[in-house]
Amino acid sequence: MRFTIITSLIILAAILLSACSEPALDDYSDVSYELIDQNGETVTFPDDFEGSPLVVGFIYTHCPDICSFITANVGKVYNEMDNPGDTKFLLVTFDPDRDTPEVLKSYAAAFEMDREPFRFLTGDPDTIDDFMRRVSVRTQESYTRDMDDGERLYFLSHSDKILLIDQNSRLIFDYGGSMTPVNIIIEDLEKLGP
Amino acid sequence: MKKLITLLITLPSFLITLNSCGEADEQQQEWSVSGEGISIEGAWARPASEGRMSAAYFLITNFEDEDDRLIGVRSDVARMVEIHESYEGENDMMGMREVPEIELPANETVRFEQGGLHIMLIQATRQLAEGDTFELTLEFENSGEQTIEVPIRN
Ligand SMILES: [Cu+2]
Repeated sequence: MRFTIITSLIILAAILLSACSEPALDDYSDVSYELIDQNGETVTFPDDFEGSPLVVGFIYTHCPDICSFITANVGKVYNEMDNPGDTKFLLVTFDPDRDTPEVLKSYAAAFEMDREPFRFLTGDPDTIDDFMRRVSVRTQESYTRDMDDGERLYFLSHSDKILLIDQNSRLIFDYGGSMTPVNIIIEDLEKLGP
Repeated sequence: MKKLITLLITLPSFLITLNSCGEADEQQQEWSVSGEGISIEGAWARPASEGRMSAAYFLITNFEDEDDRLIGVRSDVARMVEIHESYEGENDMMGMREVPEIELPANETVRFEQGGLHIMLIQATRQLAEGDTFELTLEFENSGEQTIEVPIRN
């Protein structure tokens, strides 16, 4: 009898608690991607970020319009948060062939984001491929330019995304990266609590 | 002949949140102007290091009673300078493409802004840091050429 009451209370508490938190769209705790940041340091996603809420944008540095917008938005979320606490801000490239750590470092510097709590991440193409598939970021070569020195420049069509991931590596929100007002992302972050 | 056109420019909210609000307000006032010929306002471009990409934005108002057309852009700030637009394609993917020319209807403003029309600067020939400026020449079908100074900022 007593056992049943306690069990019921636990179940009730669990129901109440889950009603308070956001339902997860995905859970990344079962994956582990070894990436490299703009300083050449190895970073494992999501393990190295467990315990921190994450704002993650997906970009490639040959894209000065939409991707600059995404990068600037991620920067702006941090700059406009009253209390960013432990929140980390990641920009992950889907063009690892060209976006080396050095390239990402100068790109980050141009946005004044080559500093904590921002990390610009690349990796080997297979890992990035797996990562992008898991987060549903699609890319496709769109058009090319032949430069006069024979170099062939290519550009990509791509998903426009910023993700909000909670302290337990669960995907909470999936935003249009360039179009979502920054204050909406901040409000959602604040709902995650400290 | 000098004419007065009241331009009521309602910025989409994402632009306001992206720029600092103060700046957006200032520009909004600046844009409600009188003018003649082709007027280019509010130019800016993204920072970039040498060899990298940048994009420039501005508003073009055609104060003439005749339609005009932007038919070319050039600058020594990049190895290639093109008129581009970002667009939403299949599967919610964003892409960009070259646009050969832009219609400038009489007494209207055409906006080059983030996520839409932009001047694509392919491989900057020098470092473009916040506070720097560069010259950009715009070529119009009827009104000849105009060279503007474009400041770099984030
Ligand atoms: Cu472009």
